[in-house]
Amino acid sequence: MSDAERPPTEFEPAEPNTGEEFEPVDVFPDSTDFDLRPGADSCYKCSTCDTNCPVAEVDDDFPGPKFQGPEQWRLKQNEEDYEVDDSVMDCSNCMRCDNACPSGVPLSQMHNTARGEYVENQMSKLSVEYIRNRILANYRTSAWFASKVPRLANAVMNFGPARWVMEKTMGVTSEREFPAFATETFREWWDRQGAAGGSRERARENRERRGDPVDADKKVAYFHGCYSNYNTPEVGKAMVRVYEHFGYEVVVPEQRCSGTPMFANGMLTDARRHAEVNVSSMADLVEQGYDAIASCTSCSMALRQEYPELFDIDGVEEVAAHTFESVEYLRIHEDLRGAIDETEIDGDLAEEFAYHAPCHARNQGLNRQAVELFGDLDGVDVEDVGDSCSGISGTYGWKAEKYDKSMEIGEEMFEHMEDTDGETGMTECPTCAMQMEHGTGYEIRHPLELLEAAVVE
Amino acid sequence: MASAPHIAVIGGGSTGIGIARDLSMRGLDVTLLEQGNLTHGTTGRMHGLLHSGGRYAVSDQASARECIEENRVLRDIAGHCVEMTGGLFVKRPEDSEEYFQEKLEGCRACDIPAEVVSASEARAMEPHLAKDIDKAISVPDGAVDPFRLVAANAASASEHGARIETHSTVEDLIVEDEEVVGVEVEHASGAGERVHGTEGGREEIRADYVVNATGAWAGRIGDMAGVDVEVRPSKGVMTIMNTRQVDTVINRCRPKGDADIVVPHETTCILGTTDEEVEDPEDYPEEQWEVDMMLETLTELVPMLEEARTIRSFWGVRPLYEPPNVGSDDPTDITRDYFLLDHAERDGLEGMTSIVGGKLTTYRMMGEEISDHVCEQFGIDAECRTADVPLPGSEDFSVLRDYMDEFGLRSPIGRRSVERLGSRADEVLKTDGPNPTVCACEGVTRAEIQDAIGQSGSDLNAVRIRTRSSMGNCQGGFCCHRMANELHDEYDEATTRAAWDELLEERWRGQRHALWGEQLSQAMLNYALHATTQNRDNDPADGDPVDFAAFDDGVEPADGSPRGGVATDGGEYCGD
Repeated sequence: MSDAERPPTEFEPAEPNTGEEFEPVDVFPDSTDFDLRPGADSCYKCSTCDTNCPVAEVDDDFPGPKFQGPEQWRLKQNEEDYEVDDSVMDCSNCMRCDNACPSGVPLSQMHNTARGEYVENQMSKLSVEYIRNRILANYRTSAWFASKVPRLANAVMNFGPARWVMEKTMGVTSEREFPAFATETFREWWDRQGAAGGSRERARENRERRGDPVDADKKVAYFHGCYSNYNTPEVGKAMVRVYEHFGYEVVVPEQRCSGTPMFANGMLTDARRHAEVNVSSMADLVEQGYDAIASCTSCSMALRQEYPELFDIDGVEEVAAHTFESVEYLRIHEDLRGAIDETEIDGDLAEEFAYHAPCHARNQGLNRQAVELFGDLDGVDVEDVGDSCSGISGTYGWKAEKYDKSMEIGEEMFEHMEDTDGETGMTECPTCAMQMEHGTGYEIRHPLELLEAAVVE
Repeated sequence: MASAPHIAVIGGGSTGIGIARDLSMRGLDVTLLEQGNLTHGTTGRMHGLLHSGGRYAVSDQASARECIEENRVLRDIAGHCVEMTGGLFVKRPEDSEEYFQEKLEGCRACDIPAEVVSASEARAMEPHLAKDIDKAISVPDGAVDPFRLVAANAASASEHGARIETHSTVEDLIVEDEEVVGVEVEHASGAGERVHGTEGGREEIRADYVVNATGAWAGRIGDMAGVDVEVRPSKGVMTIMNTRQVDTVINRCRPKGDADIVVPHETTCILGTTDEEVEDPEDYPEEQWEVDMMLETLTELVPMLEEARTIRSFWGVRPLYEPPNVGSDDPTDITRDYFLLDHAERDGLEGMTSIVGGKLTTYRMMGEEISDHVCEQFGIDAECRTADVPLPGSEDFSVLRDYMDEFGLRSPIGRRSVERLGSRADEVLKTDGPNPTVCACEGVTRAEIQDAIGQSGSDLNAVRIRTRSSMGNCQGGFCCHRMANELHDEYDEATTRAAWDELLEERWRGQRHALWGEQLSQAMLNYALHATTQNRDNDPADGDPVDFAAFDDGVEPADGSPRGGVATDGGEYCGD
């Protein structure tokens, strides 16, 4: 019998009879908890995380990520009434420890879990700290209100006496200037542009111009986050224009806060509520072939890493696998370098940019992308200001008791920024941008804005 | 009473120390002699199970009854050494249903509270149990820290006037007119607390009665007086996991067999064990296949063990004894019961009794029985109080304290410290000076280390067993030198180095059997750290004090400014 002749078989494709017992696919093998045992097993105590922790560097009372993570987890693992040490609230959630660990310990997952437990079980819900943290963590809610009356909000939020009262009663530092609210939110603008329908038309025009097939499978769902919606709609607009320029259809689905400030403040219930909305809208789109694109590196971090580490929401893994940062995605799929080679920047963006890579960008392997991308762009210079943390870490630097530490952490970045020739900074992260501006007075731009100037006429 | 009889107890394991406490509480004059540290023999090399008796409920109901009785006593008198985890006898589909029923009936016959739980109930209690288990029986098993238990008994015995000598080997029994009248002891470092480098010496200790409580070593002591004590040492391996995969004691419900128990112990789980007869309790092979086999077998009960990190393995020898006429071939058939051998009745040798067999859970009961026997020899009618008086540390205490306010300790460190110290927590942890964490893996602070040094001299292994310092996942990589540092001031450099060497040696011994995966990474890191920062791979100062003054203090700056102008990273020193 030759190999080609096969004996008749009992195998009936419609009815698998492989002899194996049916084992249903278990998406979460131990569905009751996200087991941290393997993570604790991975720690061999080298302390590299501690030496990379920007908070431990300036705060002698902070015991560092190794203690907050694997050590504390192992010491308290078997006790239900075991308290989480309150020092977990001093972690800024920069997540540099994740990146520093040579052994793959899920440090930030351990911190987020412990912080969530601490806030849930040990923190008084009537304390000023809790209320302050809750307000800071739910920035989206304040921003939503403010966006209804942006001019009034801008005046009130930076009104001296009001800020003095906020610091004294709520512990929100009066040293910082509140970010201005845009008079038109990104979503309002987006609707004016004809929303998804308008984007499809523009994408098709651009495909024609580019010589792409008109029905090319190029579609993305934009996760703008709160900041580009309420404060810097120019970043969102740049995202849309750049993507449409490369022939992408953009949709802007229903979305809430990514949860980043909530994780940092242990507000896991809030974070979960928001995550459910985000995952639900993104999962539907991912199923239809869209990829999720964020212009804020902390938002992409949340969708990619924190969601699957903390929440067992339907579709969370799929969304995580299909989430990208905005420049990263184009670098993967388009010839950005080619596009940039052909052009030159003049006007107000012809600058030397002091670029700071946000910690959360670093964790996604994106810390060099702006420098690499714009290296060959005529008319601009992008200088990396080093690998330090900016120090603000979202809400951390807004807390009165953390303000000085936040500025001390930022010192190195400020100095390096001052050393560049220009007076413009660049970063992907909105709160890093606040800190950069606060520490140097520079104007801060997003890489998408420069990319827009370079490739979109 | 004119003067209390002087009793020499040989063996500083749970049995010997239990006897020493009992006799001294009854007013007798006691000297306890141990060749190593307390728990050096079998006690320090067990899986830490506080038996409910369930394991013996089919094969040995007398032992089972003793176990449940003593289980209740120990919860009472040794609260700070015991964690009541509860236990499960888990039946897999291939295990016999008949035996399951026998086990259940056996437990009930012995008054061991036992309930059948369904597979899903068992998995709700312990989510990491295998998915395909049939069902289980729940029993009141627990975990006991043998080190802490023995140290607390020793402290109590000392309080009652007993003399406790460790590192004191009995070299001979003094026999006069067919009666044992004392022992000849070789002290490794003089009498009292052990201090390395102190000159040892031989001491003749006269005693009115001698108790041989040396377990697997009992035959050796018997030989010194020409009597046969046929202990059959049987080795078993135990493997320590880095975390607790289960919080309940998990037993396999089948007749007998190797590798059938997982005991949650402090921050870890201990897997046990095997059963193989050996010739010499101090010299037997420790083989890797024993560890592999155990992990593989226990994976059938707790699958995640396969991927989990082990931090070390150790072997212990059971002091099994069976009366001469039984003749079991297989050590697993030998009874776990204990026997009191009065050599006067048995061999015509007055003045000495040996106690053999038994298990840690019933150590107190054994102590009571032999103390009764000893008192009988002297016509003393004193009541045993060891079942009623709590051990030092086990008086009323709560682990729910405000650790930061009261002790200045971070919550998990304070909690672990108070759990270990029990009612002694305030006395030990409330210190005036700074109290840094010495062992971060187990949460042990300087104050607790200093307390242990106060109890045991310069012996860092004795400090280790009292505090758990160096027993966590880095296995001492990051704390052995810090522990050694705590000896400074009170002890000189040579003493400190000797103690440090001994501790490191002991820590490496068990890690040799865990050198794969994460623990291999750990061991490599430890080695590199110790070799490059402490010169532990080749110590030129070995034996001689280090001439610290001879160390180079840097290059003389060219401009003649004082040294210290250069920062360690090579940059310019700009501070003051």
